[in-house]
Amino acid sequence: MARFFLRNLFSMFITMLLVSAVLFFLLEVAGGDVTVRLLGVFATPAQRDSLRRQLGLDAPAWQRYLDWLAGSDWRAQQMTPFPLVTMPNPQTGEPGWWAVVDDTLTRWRLADGELIAMQRTAEGEETTTPAGDVWTIDDAGNAIFWGVDVNNNLVKWVRGSDVDVLVLSKAGVRSETGGPQQYIPLRKGILRGDAGMSLQTNRPVSSTVFSRAANSLILAGAAFLLVMPLALVFGVLAGVNEGKLLDRIITITGLGFTATPEFVIGVFLILIFGIWLRWLPATAVFLTGDAIFRDPKILVLPVLTLMAAEFGYVSRITRASMAEVMQSPYIRAAFIKGVPRRRVIFRHALRNALLAPITVIMLQINWLIGGVIVVEVLFGIPGLGAYIYDAATFGDFNAVAAAAMLTVFVAVLTRLIGDMLYTYLNPRIRFA
Amino acid sequence: MSERIHPLALQAADKLERGRISRRDFLRYATLLGVSVGTAYAMAACAPAGAPAASEAAAGEAGAAGGITRGGTLRKGVLVQPVDHPARLSWLEGANAVRLVNEYLTETGPDNITRPYLLESWEASDDVQTWTLKLRQGIKFNNGDELTADDVMYSFSQWLDPEVGSSMLGLLSYLDGMNSVEKVDDYTIRLNLTSPNIGVPEHLFHYPAVILHRDFQGDWVKQPIGTGAFTLEEYIESERAIFKARPDYWRMGEDGKPLPYLDEIVMVSVDKDAAVAAIQAGQLDTLFKPRPSDFLALKDNPDLQVKSVATANCFVVRMRVDQEPWDDNRVRTAMKMCQDRQKILDLSYNGEGILSIDAPFSPVHPAYAERPIPAYDPEGARALLEEYAAEKGVDLPLKVTLATKNDLSEPEIAQALKELAAPGGFEIALDITEPNGYWDRWTEVPLGITIWAHRPLDTMTPPLAYIADADGAPVPWNETRWVDPEFSEKLAQAELTLDIEARRQIIGDLEDIMQERGPIGNSYWTNEWEIFPKSFHGVIAHPSNFDFFYAVWKQQ
Repeated sequence: MARFFLRNLFSMFITMLLVSAVLFFLLEVAGGDVTVRLLGVFATPAQRDSLRRQLGLDAPAWQRYLDWLAGSDWRAQQMTPFPLVTMPNPQTGEPGWWAVVDDTLTRWRLADGELIAMQRTAEGEETTTPAGDVWTIDDAGNAIFWGVDVNNNLVKWVRGSDVDVLVLSKAGVRSETGGPQQYIPLRKGILRGDAGMSLQTNRPVSSTVFSRAANSLILAGAAFLLVMPLALVFGVLAGVNEGKLLDRIITITGLGFTATPEFVIGVFLILIFGIWLRWLPATAVFLTGDAIFRDPKILVLPVLTLMAAEFGYVSRITRASMAEVMQSPYIRAAFIKGVPRRRVIFRHALRNALLAPITVIMLQINWLIGGVIVVEVLFGIPGLGAYIYDAATFGDFNAVAAAAMLTVFVAVLTRLIGDMLYTYLNPRIRFA
Repeated sequence: MSERIHPLALQAADKLERGRISRRDFLRYATLLGVSVGTAYAMAACAPAGAPAASEAAAGEAGAAGGITRGGTLRKGVLVQPVDHPARLSWLEGANAVRLVNEYLTETGPDNITRPYLLESWEASDDVQTWTLKLRQGIKFNNGDELTADDVMYSFSQWLDPEVGSSMLGLLSYLDGMNSVEKVDDYTIRLNLTSPNIGVPEHLFHYPAVILHRDFQGDWVKQPIGTGAFTLEEYIESERAIFKARPDYWRMGEDGKPLPYLDEIVMVSVDKDAAVAAIQAGQLDTLFKPRPSDFLALKDNPDLQVKSVATANCFVVRMRVDQEPWDDNRVRTAMKMCQDRQKILDLSYNGEGILSIDAPFSPVHPAYAERPIPAYDPEGARALLEEYAAEKGVDLPLKVTLATKNDLSEPEIAQALKELAAPGGFEIALDITEPNGYWDRWTEVPLGITIWAHRPLDTMTPPLAYIADADGAPVPWNETRWVDPEFSEKLAQAELTLDIEARRQIIGDLEDIMQERGPIGNSYWTNEWEIFPKSFHGVIAHPSNFDFFYAVWKQQ
C-alpha cells in the first residue's frame, strides 16, 4: 500500500509539472499585453518596451518558465559577487531582496545620475551613502555594475552611458541617462514557495491568494461535507426502492435541483430567506477578513445553493449504481439464500455500488473549488474563482498561474484520494 | 471685517439686478471670484447670511431630527481599487477611498458652488490671472505635522510633474510648471497663470487634487498621511478597506466636538447585484453609483431614503471621423437623427434624466445655452444615407458595428439604437463586452458608446475629448479624432471669457457646431442617486458621485 501511495505521489508531482508547463505556455499564447493594462492605452511603445524589460518579459519563454518554477536568484547570483538574500520588510512583512555587502544588507538606486547605496542596519534603520567605486569594466570597455534595486530586480547599471532608459518607478515612468540597462527580476520560484508579485496589486501573490483560496475551500468544503452523506443516503434509498414512490420523489427532486442553474436557486434563496423572511443573511459580505468565523450564518445560503446543485448529480449516479447492483445475480443469490434484506444491502451491495459515485464525488470537488465562481459573485464572497477571473482579465499572469496551480493541486490531490478509496473498496485495482 | 469684492463680481451683481443672469449663476460666479458665500448671498439680496456649505447644509437636518448621535459604522459596497499615487487617480471608487484620508483645497458642493476647504480664502486679481490661495492655519496631518504651504507646493509639484502622470497636468494647462507656483509665506501660495482662468477653484477639487504630505513617497496604501477625518486601517484590493474616525480632526461638528460623527467606514468589494441584496437584508448600508436597475429595486423600500441629483454624466455614441463611413458628416448626422431621445432615456434609464442635444454641454453647466431637443427623424436619416450610398456606390442598409460594455445602461442604449436606426438605413451589429474589454479599446473602435463622467464646468470636458494638442494630433482622450478649427478656437475663447452672457453666447455657438458636424450623439444626461437607510442623516448626493462622509451621522 505504501509503495502504491508513493508511486501515486510521484505521478501526481509529474502531472503537476506537466500541467504547469502547459499552463505557462497557454498564458504565454493567450495572455494580452499586460503593459497596456499597467501603463494605460496612451503609453508609447518605448514606455511599454521598457516596462516589459523591467518585468523580465524580454527573456525567452523557457527562461521565464524556469525562473517561475525554480527561481532566478541562482542565475542572478552568477552576475554579482555579493550574496543575494531575502529579508521581510519591517512594515509589511513581505519579503524583499537585498545584496549582502560586508555583512550589511544593501540595495542601490540612481539619483541624478549617481549611484546611491542604501543599507539596512540590524535595527531595521535605512541609511544611504554614495555607492563609491563599485564599477567594473566589461569587455566592451564600459563601466558596469550589477546590484539589487528597490523593486527586487538585479539590475545592470552602465556608468556614463548616454542611452536614455525609461524607468518605471512608483511615481510613473521617467527617463534616466546612464541608468539601468538590463533586469533580472529576483524570485525564488514556485517550487520554493514564491509565486512572484501580483502585477495588479504590486504585492506578493502568496499574500492574497491563500486567503481567497481559504474562503473558497471553506465554502466548498462545507457544501461538500453536508451534501455528500445526504446525496449518498438518498441515492441508495432511491436505488433499493427503484420504481417506487420514494424513488420517484428523490429522483425528481434531485433532477429539479440539478437542472436549475445555481444563480436561479441562489436568487430565490436570497429573496425568500434573506429579504422576505429575514431569517438568514442574504449575502456573504465580508466586513472583516475573518467574517466566516465571526458570523458563520453568512455561509448558509451559499452552501445551500451549492448543495442544491450537487445533490442531483451524486444522488442520481448513486441510485443508478445501486439499482444496477441490486439487479445483479449475486444479490439475487443472496436474497434467495435467505440473507436478511438489510444485510444484503449493507454487506454485499453497497460496497460495489459506491465505486461509481466516488469518481463523480472526486470530480465534484474539482468543480467545487474552481467552479464556485457563480455562487461567489452572487453572494459577494471573495473567493478563488473571482480571484482568477479578476487576475485573468487584468493579465496578471503570476496571480493566474499561482491560483490555477492551486486548483490543479486540489484536482490531483483528490484524484489521489479517490484512487486510494478505490483500492480500499476494490482490491482488484491494488493488485492490477 | 470688510471684504474686497472682485470688480467682475460687482458687474455680475449688476446684471443679476437687471435680470440678465440667474441667481444661481451669480452665486457660483461670485464665489469663484473669491467672494465669500455669505457675502454672495447678501449681494444677491437673499438670506441666509451664513449660507450653508455642502456639509453644513447636511448638518442642518440635525435640528429637525432632534440632535446628532455619534458612533456607528457605515458599510458601503464599492470596488476597492488598487491605489498608489493619489495624483494619478483616474477612477472615482479609488478617489472616494482616498478622500476619506486626504482632502482638497476647495470643495464644490452639490449646488455647484465652490467653497474654500483647506483654504481659508482665495483671491483673484482683476485680470483673473493671479490667484492667491490662503491656507487655514492649525490643520494637522494624521501624523501630527501641521499643514503648511510646503505640503501644497509639494502637491502641486506632483500634479505638474509629467513623470507622475496626473490628469491635473492637462487641467492646469494655464500653469507653466512649478514656475507658475509661488510660495509667498508658510500659509500663502500664489499662482501666476499664463492665461486668465476662472475655473481655478473648481480645478482644485478635481478628484486627483488631494493635498499630500511633503514626505509622501508615492504609495498611498503604505503611507496614508492626510488631513482628513478618517485614517486608513486596512486596504486590500478587490476585498475591503476599513477606515477609522480620527479623534483630532480639524473641523468641529454641530455638537462642538471634532468631526466625524461616524466611528468607522467599511468599503467592501462586491458585485452590485450582491450589494443590492445585502442592502435589502441590512448587511450593507449603501452602494457606489447605483445603476438604474438598482434604483428600481431599492427606491420603494420603506427603510431606505433616495436622494437624486441631475448631472452632466452621459453615454456618448461616438464616431471615429478618421474611419469610414464616419468621416462623412452626412452619416454622422444620420446616426444622430436616429436617436429617439425620450425613448432611449425611458428604455435605458427609466426616464431618470434630462434630454440632451449631441453636445458635451449640459443644463447643469453654468453657461449652457438652451437649444431645442432634436426630434427622431428616421426619414431624414435615410435620405442622407441614400445620398451617401449613391455617391460611394454602396448598398443600404449601411452595416456598422457598435461596440460598448455590458455595464450601466450601455447595452440598453445599444439595443434601442439598433432598433431605432434600422428604419433610418443602418444595420447595427452589437459588440458588447465586459467593461475592461471595452476600456482596452475605447479609443480605437470606429463606433462605440463611452460613458463620460460629470464635470462641473462646461469647458472641462471638451479640451479632454474634442481638440488637438500643440502638434496638431488629437489629444489622448479624443476618441473620435474629431478636430475642428472653429470649435477649438471658440473653445479657447470661452475658457478666457469670464462675462457670463458673452460666455453663454460662445457656448451656444459651440453647441451649434457640435450639432451641425460634431462626432457624438448623446441622448440624455443621467440623474445620480445616493441610497441609504433612513437612519443615516446628512447624506449628500453629488453629481460626481463623490462621498462626503465627514458630517454623516447615524441615528442610534
